[in-house]
Amino acid sequence: MAKRNQQNGSGRFTQKMSIKLAVLFIMILVAFAFLGIRLFIINRDNGDKYKKKVLSQQAYDSITIPAKRGDIVDRNNTKMAVSQKVYNICIDSKTLNKDDGKYLESTIAALYSTPAEFSYTKDELRSYILSNPDSQYRVIARKQGYETVSDIMNMVNNPSMYPDFKGVWLEDTYVRQYPYNSLACDLIGFVQGDNEGAYGLEEFYNSTLVGTNGREFGYLNDDENLERTLKPAQDGKTLVTSIDVNIQSIVEKNILAFNEEHRNEAREGDGSTNTGVIIMDPNNGEVLAMASYPTYNLNDPRNTDNLDIKVELDPEQFGIMNGILDGTDISEMDDSELAETVRKLAGGNNDAGDESGDNSEGIMEQDIEINVGNSDEEENDAGDPYSGMTYAEAYDKAYEEAKMEALNSLWKNYCISSTYEPGSTMKPFTMATGLEDGILRGDESYVCNGVTEVGGHEIHCSNRLGHGALTFEGAIEQSCNVAFMKIGTQIGKTEFMKYNQIFNFGLKTNIDLTGEALTNSLVFNINTMTPTDLAISSFGQGFNVTMIQMAAGFCSLINGGYYYKPHVVTRILDSAGTTVETVEPRIIKQTVSQETSDKIKELCVGVVENGTGKSARPAGYRIGGKTGTAEKYPRGTENYVISFMAFAPADDPQLVCYVVIDEPNVGYQAQSKYAAVLCKDILTEVLPYMGIFQTEELTEKEAEELAEKQQEFSKGSTGDSEEEVVGEIIVDADTADDGSNGTGAITFVDENGNELDEEDLTGRKIDIDPETGYAIDPTSGVLLDPQTGAPIDPTVTDLR
Amino acid sequence: MSENRKPDKKRKYYFDYTMLFIVLFLVLFGLVMLYSTSSYEANIKFDDPAFYFRKQAVASAIGIGVMFAFMLIDYHIVQRFAFLAYVVSLILIILVLTPLGYEAGGARRWLNLGLSLQPAEVAKLALIIFFASVVCRLGDAIQERRNLILVLALAVPHALCVLIITQNLSSAIIIFSIVFMMLFVATPQYKEYFILAAIVAALAVAIVLLVKYDVIPAELSYRLRRVEAWLDPEAYSASTGFQTLQALYAIGSGGIFGKGLGESIQKLGYLPEAQNDMIFSIICEELGLFGAFAIILLFVLLIWRFLVIANNASDKFGALMVVGVMAHISIQVILNIAVVTNTIPNTGITLPFISYGGSSIVFLLAEMGLVLGVSRSIRVED
Repeated sequence: MAKRNQQNGSGRFTQKMSIKLAVLFIMILVAFAFLGIRLFIINRDNGDKYKKKVLSQQAYDSITIPAKRGDIVDRNNTKMAVSQKVYNICIDSKTLNKDDGKYLESTIAALYSTPAEFSYTKDELRSYILSNPDSQYRVIARKQGYETVSDIMNMVNNPSMYPDFKGVWLEDTYVRQYPYNSLACDLIGFVQGDNEGAYGLEEFYNSTLVGTNGREFGYLNDDENLERTLKPAQDGKTLVTSIDVNIQSIVEKNILAFNEEHRNEAREGDGSTNTGVIIMDPNNGEVLAMASYPTYNLNDPRNTDNLDIKVELDPEQFGIMNGILDGTDISEMDDSELAETVRKLAGGNNDAGDESGDNSEGIMEQDIEINVGNSDEEENDAGDPYSGMTYAEAYDKAYEEAKMEALNSLWKNYCISSTYEPGSTMKPFTMATGLEDGILRGDESYVCNGVTEVGGHEIHCSNRLGHGALTFEGAIEQSCNVAFMKIGTQIGKTEFMKYNQIFNFGLKTNIDLTGEALTNSLVFNINTMTPTDLAISSFGQGFNVTMIQMAAGFCSLINGGYYYKPHVVTRILDSAGTTVETVEPRIIKQTVSQETSDKIKELCVGVVENGTGKSARPAGYRIGGKTGTAEKYPRGTENYVISFMAFAPADDPQLVCYVVIDEPNVGYQAQSKYAAVLCKDILTEVLPYMGIFQTEELTEKEAEELAEKQQEFSKGSTGDSEEEVVGEIIVDADTADDGSNGTGAITFVDENGNELDEEDLTGRKIDIDPETGYAIDPTSGVLLDPQTGAPIDPTVTDLR
Repeated sequence: MSENRKPDKKRKYYFDYTMLFIVLFLVLFGLVMLYSTSSYEANIKFDDPAFYFRKQAVASAIGIGVMFAFMLIDYHIVQRFAFLAYVVSLILIILVLTPLGYEAGGARRWLNLGLSLQPAEVAKLALIIFFASVVCRLGDAIQERRNLILVLALAVPHALCVLIITQNLSSAIIIFSIVFMMLFVATPQYKEYFILAAIVAALAVAIVLLVKYDVIPAELSYRLRRVEAWLDPEAYSASTGFQTLQALYAIGSGGIFGKGLGESIQKLGYLPEAQNDMIFSIICEELGLFGAFAIILLFVLLIWRFLVIANNASDKFGALMVVGVMAHISIQVILNIAVVTNTIPNTGITLPFISYGGSSIVFLLAEMGLVLGVSRSIRVED
């Protein structure tokens, strides 16, 4: 290479040119050297900082994978609360604006050709994308079902087939749905905000239901290589409850019927302030149904349409004198005009908050009471919460507070959260105390003159004329207060209070529901209890209980003395359907002996057969029970809590049904028969459903009523559910008349008029398992082959 | 002026294998880096990780064919078409205005003649040939200062057309710089060139200062906004400074030996169009300072081979063509690395042989063919 032609011809590269070329080469080398140094300096000075920058940009690259909240199902696996996978549609404006927005129109057109419901119109979306070119995340449609977004999903997943569709993706999320709307609302509770259970099972078991969110993220491994990792979501667990949706429906239907019947009867409003019913299995403490009235729709818990929101505000506090409200004369106005005026005045401040729509609507439709003459002292004592506000602002605030208060009382579960004086349903407990202690032998007799004097107070019996001479049984059958005050005095406060503790009064039952009231301050203290207190306690006045306390205690009285912890959840399943926890019935204590329990059962049967509980007897059944009528505080206002506590069937109790009606909307409230009749109506439907057969003869009148009712049931059930009614009950009037057929007074026939034997009857209310199509044996829960009736081995059948 | 002497077969002729090796190495290395850099984006955009790679591989194959063709033909034939090349390349630029021209990536710079073609790349080759020819024809007349200015003015039509019609400032600068450097080598003057360079530099500094102190609003033109972003890329990290900043992150995070081939993170959607102008930053990220210096060294070696070939070329026309190619390669490499390191404001300049671009690689390899042809004419003494 060294030997090259160095000739210098005229057309050749000259020496000067070579020198200049060398100069150029050196300048180029200098430039390269400079750039090399520059590279080195960037690494030396900013290397670490830029490394971190690169990593921090990566941190945004993680996606949360939401966990599915567990379902809540009843004892037959009927779903009461489910989480449905839905999709949010999101857009990336930056991508849509790329390439001069080439894909913008085609993408928008494709989006709006699908049935999804967007939060924006086409034009709004277009202008949003154009005016926010840097936005990379915007949800444009929320919680869309799979069917709705399937087209979009297809386009998102196949970019090569849809090259003009860009900048859109779907985000998974879940919505909570309650297929039965308001059914068992107080028991189930709802979900608010970010997957947070409120009230009932949803709150109590929130941590079980909620699951753990998963995450997909990228990270750098030891060699600083990027790796992607998926941590899958752990779905929440499913709660299997002891509730039976059918029983719950029967209960709620009858509660509603009662409240509708007595609506606006003695006063404006519902048929009662509250109506609560608990049905429990006394043999294991499982709650079969728990309902109260009024109810709300779990799918829309904040709906205030049916609420009576009362605002109590004194206009004079706001300088509105002589009935002049912001320049408007209100002295001549009636309630609705006043409300309208206030609404107009408050209207200007209603913009804030999403509730404003509901708010003004609510004010228009609902009954607003403005107490012009409200007591000033109270408000001054508490400090004025409305200081510095105009009347309209204060009205808004007061309305908001009143609304929350109304909603909170609506969401509250009356059966566990409200306390009241039990009244005469306490009497079986008092009698059991006396019998267990040996103070009562069962052959005592009493004389009632209608009044007795204890500790200087004259206390009347429910029958002011007096019951006269009463046997031991008669005392409870007639619910004689005078006799029970005597029994109470005989027992003495020490023993009485000891047994109250044993029956769990003043303590929580610790049922697995949120919101159980603590009554320890609402029962008598043995140290300060006076003879009068003892006397009225013996018939259930002067101290407070919750419904669940009474129901759980009563279960122990009639099941041989075993106090089971009341509970709703029986099993917990993981997301694959495997049982991870079984809640066994838990006996907390023995309250009374078997003998006492048998005696109490006998006495309670007497109450229904011969005494105050006659109207509670469902036709064809022998049950036991006890009425209750408790006067509420303040005494003398004629407000009562009436109740009925029943067990059925009398010989082998399968259920306890406790009905409480708070302030029935009737002229004279102190009539426990309202509760007794409601109890009868419920039992009339629930007992046949549970496969408990009639044992008693029907009178002709009962038979007719029953036939009529049965007609209603079958109509109702075919109308609103798929419940299979194989046959219908007809009454053989002839056999009922001569009584020769004993228990066979009722015959079941199928549609073709063929008589059904007992095996068919068991199948009368058989449910069909929707997954497998097999029938379910109502007593054992085992799947049956519909052809042969033979049980199917559940281990063979895949229940999923 | 024809110096078309038939080579004597008895004599030994030189062939620059070193240069051929460097060129082929750069082309193949470029393909590897291009695949590494573009596969992620190609997969997302076209559902085909090899989309860019395949197109570039085809262009490279064509380019290598063209290179050998130019190498084998006698380069003096090229001289005959010098004026034609000058006119045709100018017409091609103007054709961009006709429906034959098309737009990509927001700029109208391409012609669709069955194959897609970027006329600015044609112009670079054409002007190298044309000016080598002009300087030879003028002979000693080029030494006069008046003629010098006139010759330099011959480059203005192309530069202006590229700037105005295709809105491509960087190509205009490159075209003008190539001619400037060729004339610098061909003429004895120094002062005139340094004065001209000083005037240009002063103008540039003035513009930068005016932008910096907000005397002229940067909103007037996207070029001024880029100047603004160059001065403080972090202040414009979401807009004009984004690409530059991401490139700096890539360079800085590479360290001495880099993250390893294929392991860049910045190419995963952070550094936009990394396979084009910013490919050098991905080389820095994956292969570190070591890899980057190795590539720079290869370019230096290549330029040194140009120097050797020019000095030993059998005639002035060949030598000047080599000087033009040398100017072309060195300007593009220097400006590209300067942009990536934020040494100058962001302007679209590709890294020769490595960046993605079909026209660019084909015409670059054609130039290499010319240079290799010139090297073949060097006579080695017995």
